Amino acid sequence: MNAPHRLASGGLIDRAQPLSFTFDGQAYSGFAGDTLASALVANGVKLVGRSFKYHRPRGILTAGSDEPNALVELRTGARREPNTRATTAELYDGLVAASQNRWPSLAFDIGAVNDGLSRFLVAGFYYKTFMWPAKFWELLYEPLIRRAAGLGRAAGTEDPDHYEKAYAHCDLLVIGGGPAGLMAALAAGRAGARVILADEDFRLGGRLLAERYEIDGKPGTEWVAEIEAELASLPEVRIMRRTAVTGVFDHGQYGAVERVNDHVPVPPEHEPRQRSWKIVARRAVLAAGALERGIAFGNNDRPGVILAGAARSYINRYAAAPGRRIAVFTNNDDGWRTAADAHAAGIEVAAVIDSRAEPPGQFAALGIKALTGAQVSHVHGGQGVQAIDVVDAAGQTMKIECDALAVAGGWNPAVHLTCHLGGRPVWNEPLAAFVPGAVPPGMHVAGAANGALTLAECLHAGVAAGAMAALECGFPIASIMVPSAQDEASAVTPLWHVKESRAKSFVDFQNDVTIKDIALANQEGFSSVEHLKRYTTLGMATDQGKVANVTGLAILADVSGRVIAEVGTTTYRPPYVPVSFGAISGHHRGKDFRPVRLPPSHRWAAEQGAVFVESGAWLRAQYYPRAGEKDWLETVNREVAATRASVGVCDVSTLGKIEIEGADAAIFLDRVYTNTFSTLPVGKSRYGLMLREDGFVMDDGTTSRLAPERFFMTTTTAQAGRVMQHLEFCHQVLWPELDVQMVSVSEQWAQFSIAGPRSRDVLRKLVDEKYDLADRAFPYLATKEVAVGGVPARLFRLSFSGEMAYELAVPARYGDGAIRAIMAAGEEFSITPYGTEALGVMRIEKGHVAGNEINGQLTARDLGLARMMSKKKDYIGRVMAQRPALLDPDRPALAGFKPADRKARLRAGAHFLSAGAVATAGNDEGYMTSVAFSPMLGHWIGLGVLERGPERIGQRVRAYDPVRNGDVEVEICNPVFFDPEGARLDG
Amino acid sequence: MASFAGLERSALHGLSLPGHYGRAGTTGVVIEERTDLALASIIGKRGKRFALVNAVNTAFGVALPDGPRRATRGSVTFAGTGPDQWIACAEGSEAPGFAAKVRARIGPFAAVSDQSDARLVLLLRGPNVRDVLAKGVPVDLHPRAFKAGDVATTIVAYIGVQIDMLDDAPTFQLSVPRSMAGSFWSWLTASAAEFGYDVITR
Repeated sequence: MNAPHRLASGGLIDRAQPLSFTFDGQAYSGFAGDTLASALVANGVKLVGRSFKYHRPRGILTAGSDEPNALVELRTGARREPNTRATTAELYDGLVAASQNRWPSLAFDIGAVNDGLSRFLVAGFYYKTFMWPAKFWELLYEPLIRRAAGLGRAAGTEDPDHYEKAYAHCDLLVIGGGPAGLMAALAAGRAGARVILADEDFRLGGRLLAERYEIDGKPGTEWVAEIEAELASLPEVRIMRRTAVTGVFDHGQYGAVERVNDHVPVPPEHEPRQRSWKIVARRAVLAAGALERGIAFGNNDRPGVILAGAARSYINRYAAAPGRRIAVFTNNDDGWRTAADAHAAGIEVAAVIDSRAEPPGQFAALGIKALTGAQVSHVHGGQGVQAIDVVDAAGQTMKIECDALAVAGGWNPAVHLTCHLGGRPVWNEPLAAFVPGAVPPGMHVAGAANGALTLAECLHAGVAAGAMAALECGFPIASIMVPSAQDEASAVTPLWHVKESRAKSFVDFQNDVTIKDIALANQEGFSSVEHLKRYTTLGMATDQGKVANVTGLAILADVSGRVIAEVGTTTYRPPYVPVSFGAISGHHRGKDFRPVRLPPSHRWAAEQGAVFVESGAWLRAQYYPRAGEKDWLETVNREVAATRASVGVCDVSTLGKIEIEGADAAIFLDRVYTNTFSTLPVGKSRYGLMLREDGFVMDDGTTSRLAPERFFMTTTTAQAGRVMQHLEFCHQVLWPELDVQMVSVSEQWAQFSIAGPRSRDVLRKLVDEKYDLADRAFPYLATKEVAVGGVPARLFRLSFSGEMAYELAVPARYGDGAIRAIMAAGEEFSITPYGTEALGVMRIEKGHVAGNEINGQLTARDLGLARMMSKKKDYIGRVMAQRPALLDPDRPALAGFKPADRKARLRAGAHFLSAGAVATAGNDEGYMTSVAFSPMLGHWIGLGVLERGPERIGQRVRAYDPVRNGDVEVEICNPVFFDPEGARLDG
Repeated sequence: MASFAGLERSALHGLSLPGHYGRAGTTGVVIEERTDLALASIIGKRGKRFALVNAVNTAFGVALPDGPRRATRGSVTFAGTGPDQWIACAEGSEAPGFAAKVRARIGPFAAVSDQSDARLVLLLRGPNVRDVLAKGVPVDLHPRAFKAGDVATTIVAYIGVQIDMLDDAPTFQLSVPRSMAGSFWSWLTASAAEFGYDVITR
């Protein structure tokens, strides 16, 4: 099956490898080496999509990543990828693609009525039309607009492929594998530098693949193959094909995306689809080439209108004829090359319409009809070019029949990456283009990206930039021959738009921005180029205006009576080409979204059927349901009751654990805690409270003295990292003179809380007999290094539950064994494992504050902990805690709450109102911080902060919770609900 | 009385069964967990640097590295992990009670804490070891930049990791917080699968 527009010979395609594919359900055939776009061109398919706003029929405009029109949905099912540029999608056998933003079909699209309604859909129409009434926006306007205007559909199901991230390092990163990039890589590579050569194409060569140039007397592609072979032979040169450098970041970091397996139907097993790279380079050579721009004239968006350089790509690289009878509209010498190459390929050239008076002489011999001083004003044909109107130098209009029109508006150096760190390109009048201004540190720009548009210039510049970069990295360069090539004609006289045109003249095809929209924006005051962009959407979306931007701002300059240099460009930001979310997230999705920390008993808890809860990065057992329990509350009630009646065990390894050592360790602790630790005896623990500099409570925990100059601090699970940072800051910045050393030992120790009246009985069966655990020898707040079955362990007499309780720490490798041993030892006492819920219930019953109260908004005084603020020493937060507003007696302070109707449920977050007060913010007297159902009291209990709460015990207030329709009368009480005398601590 | 003998569990307990995984027929990287190492963190006390260097030299015959390097004598290694900070590592007969031994010998000049259970320690080698590590290690591990005996503390897959290059094979030793062993293993095996990998035990 031969495609009708496939040229009989030539091209960098493998005619021995035919590939079949479908577009909108129709079967076609192409060859290995094709892109989807080139295969469509070869098959004579002109209409490939509908425009964003007006649903106008659109064809293929470019041959690269600058494509605004030919966006398709590639693949099907879970792998369906919307907005894929057909021009960069490599063809593979079985490829399935579909057009987007059309209904019911591409050829007959209902949405095209928008084209007729376009006077209502001009720039800024969103802002003007859908203003009122405001509530209609969410309900009506936005859904309507979203349905009518749009791009492709996401797959809607999980992507079955995997993605990864990777790092690379080099002396020199060469961005772009055209003639300049190849020479830069070769110069530096031969010198021994570590070089990465990255090109977004699947084939090196850049424009050489699309041209008929010769280098050193050889066809350009042959020369490329020789250079490529030499680069591949250099051990420190790495060639990265299909890799687009997307961004420049500080300190020589470059972002890149490698499309590892986008060119096959399904990635081979174990291989990623895409890989996002962070490349750290001492130097970079930007050899990204130049991007062609169009000219705005009537119906210049019709399928069959193509950029002239792209036409050469299709003819020379892919042996695909964009038309059978081509006209060329140019304002520069390069456009003539398209006519010449089409002619050479046997394609009829209808005419070259050159807006300049003097065409270049060298093409005269071809005998192509030339209209000079002429402009194309209109394109005839709806879904494909049929003819064009040309206004000649005398102002006469003539009609020329053709089925394709190649437009050559000049070349814009691809300056994008030079601007990512704030550089601004500068207007170069002779080139009629922006060239790089100040470039990022370490970057050299070579070739067309720097405005050197001829091949000979590119080769020279590439060698020079590569050699310079290598030298700067300490690699001296041997002399290197610059290959010989011609300096081809490249003169340009800018023409941005054709004033005679009456029909819509498009500047930005992707966003349906016409010259009228630009004029309107300017008229309405959006004359700054950045405002123009926001108001018209010029230069937005997947192509970021690569074709359109310079034309757009040239027209803005024209309508606002300024010169282009004055108008300037919008800001170029990463990424240079669209990057998939898959590549951005890499391995880190689903359960690998972020690291999960598992406590030592996790495996055992999972075996017990525990329900887990995220607590910071940790996954902790929340509760341990048993068969027959109807809900979590029943389970938690059982865990609390069993612990208070006999004994329970809970993994508390997640608490932050910090060893603090040094001659000044005690002084250090005195300064970071509100209370005193220098008086703590060896072998004892003490509860400590830490403030932030601003006087609010930061964290609490216990610290034990293991030796005169050695302490062991615990922090809350959630604040462990922050406390460590805080301590390091205090030491390194505030008091470097102190002799203190600190290190996290959180990972070293598995630590279990064993709580309840039988806790000592359980421990007696575990701890080696020589250690006396009797109350007199090991009282509340004692601590000791002990041994369990010969394994060194630490024992602490601490209680969060209010029961007689111990914390037993063993080296983490014994954590799994320890929980099993504890459970076995406790079996005769019906030991019950409990999770974070029961832990929370018991601490609320005891009135202990935790994360809900240490919320960054409350002071020690608010929490009833003023007695812990030492008056005999200085400490962090002391002065700021004395600010008058923080000492205001009306500040809400901690109290306990019981529902007046004991059957009522309490809700954390409810706000307190005096009886009869209207529920307004002005009447707010505080809020409930924590609630729990107390199995010991048989009703809900709560902790909260209330204005003068401690003075109002016995009074009643409303706990008002409009979010959950709660409104409960509560009785203010002592926050210690259970065992207020603390008698149970001693067993 | 309870006995804990035999109840030691590796950080990868249940995750790392020996065998070949990923791409069939090729082994790009060999992964081995070390569970026999004793580790101790060492932080120099203020103004005791000279005494500490002497004490380490006397006790272990090791010149304490100044910077991110390893120094080994016999079965004891000191690796620089920060200003005035080291991780000491022992194997074989030196391992039991190692932290206590270090404390006994250099305690007046440095804070010493046992970290033997704090980390998952992996050895990685094989023809693609650098390719695998490049998928998460931000540090340049090229032979020109990172040599045998070099140490780096860095972040891999959002997890703090110490990387030691043991020899020119090359063999890399990675130390990872124990609680994050599962997440790290998930990243490592996903990254190595493309090249094929063997999990071995000694």
